[in-house]
Amino acid sequence: MTRLTFTRRPVLMGLFLALAVLAAAFLVYPVAAQMHNATGRVNRSTTFQARSIQDLVRAHQLASTVQVLAAQPPSVIIQFPLFPSGVKKAFPKATGVVTIVQGNPAVSLFDTVTVDVQNMPPDITFTIFFIEIASKPFGHVQYVADLHTRADGSGDVTFQTITLVAFAADARNPGTSADQSGPASGTQLEHLGMWFSSLQDAQKVLNDNTLKGTPFDGGTPPLHAGPQALTDGQTDPVF
Amino acid sequence: MRILQYTRRIVLSASCLILLFICIQASSATAAIAAPANQQMQVGHVQSNPEAARLLQLKQSGRLAKTVNVLSALPPTTILQFPLVPSGIKQKFPDATGLVTIVRGDRDNSTSDTVTIDVQKMPPNITFTIFFIEIAKKPFGHVEYVADLTTRGDGSGESIFNIISLVSFAMDARNPGTSQDDKEGLTSGTNLEHLGMWFSSLQDAQKVLNDETLKGTIFDGGNPPLHAGPQAMTDGQSAPVF
Repeated sequence: MTRLTFTRRPVLMGLFLALAVLAAAFLVYPVAAQMHNATGRVNRSTTFQARSIQDLVRAHQLASTVQVLAAQPPSVIIQFPLFPSGVKKAFPKATGVVTIVQGNPAVSLFDTVTVDVQNMPPDITFTIFFIEIASKPFGHVQYVADLHTRADGSGDVTFQTITLVAFAADARNPGTSADQSGPASGTQLEHLGMWFSSLQDAQKVLNDNTLKGTPFDGGTPPLHAGPQALTDGQTDPVF
Repeated sequence: MRILQYTRRIVLSASCLILLFICIQASSATAAIAAPANQQMQVGHVQSNPEAARLLQLKQSGRLAKTVNVLSALPPTTILQFPLVPSGIKQKFPDATGLVTIVRGDRDNSTSDTVTIDVQKMPPNITFTIFFIEIAKKPFGHVEYVADLTTRGDGSGESIFNIISLVSFAMDARNPGTSQDDKEGLTSGTNLEHLGMWFSSLQDAQKVLNDETLKGTIFDGGNPPLHAGPQAMTDGQSAPVF
């Protein structure tokens, strides 16, 4: 009986120790994560990239509505609001925020774009375009994503593509245009707008059967999209 | 002494029970992760995919390139794959290969497509730009800059991005025009149904290809104009690949 007790004791003690190690690990992990975050906050306050972009805002190479966040280098994070255009009368409180995140500008493969909207027509699909000009006639455009609003009129979408140096070009006759970095190939796309993907939706939501179709959606037939709903509304570039 | 022994026994037994519970939880989680893959395989055999069937018909009629592989994906997803072949790097890197995978969720509800590009046996440690293009070869026509890809030291590389792909088009809204999308019908703008990769730096291209006579191209964003190199990879097809 005594022998059995001695054999059981090391086994039970071993189990107890394993449990103690597990508990310690669970306790240490959050503390380490908090320490890491604190270091991040210190670095964010010493970023230089954000300052250079703020200079661009002052020089009207970026619109004054653009917020350059004090992101930790080498990342660059900018935000700008969207305002109601085509939905202004029926949805005057509609708002949008666009967040663009670029990793290390020297090596990042694309940018991440998040579009958040509020107080929009509910349960409607909108198309999102990078555009040359914020308001009509919009100029050269690039179709980048869709956003479907929820029942409460809110919605969000995140997509990844080249954004901060987006441009349109016909390679047969590309031309050049001014980018924040200087002259660049093609026509710079430095604005963002959202359109009703369906003319019927727009006519119904805006209670206006005289609205005409626009080309702001892919697929057949042509001109099946509705009017612009939200825009950055700026003359100076927003990205 | 006996009371102390009982107390210790209870504490140690409780500890053992907790440990046993953790083990059971861990094994359940592992089983749960493995389960969906098996279920998916079973369902995949019985569900047909009308969109995949439609694309296969287009391929058979030559309205989608023969190189396109339409996968038997579970509805409502659509998954296409097509290869890339060397163009500008053919002489120096004849074995270079690329594979493009485009995944779309529900045709009517997905907010963007996911594009994955995998390359092998390419020039190592070089950044390439990726464009959706109107024509697979020169003069390329209308183009859309969508992502970059930097190769590893062994010449392999991968890039994954999310953007409207299967109905992508270029347009000047002042004069949009229309074009024939073989998958959809008549659409606004100029459809972009091909994909190409370019050297993002002319200097890189000149060095890698050992050819200083190469001229700059427009196929990269930012300053200065014409700082990109020649096309490196292309789908090489006349019929659309997406």
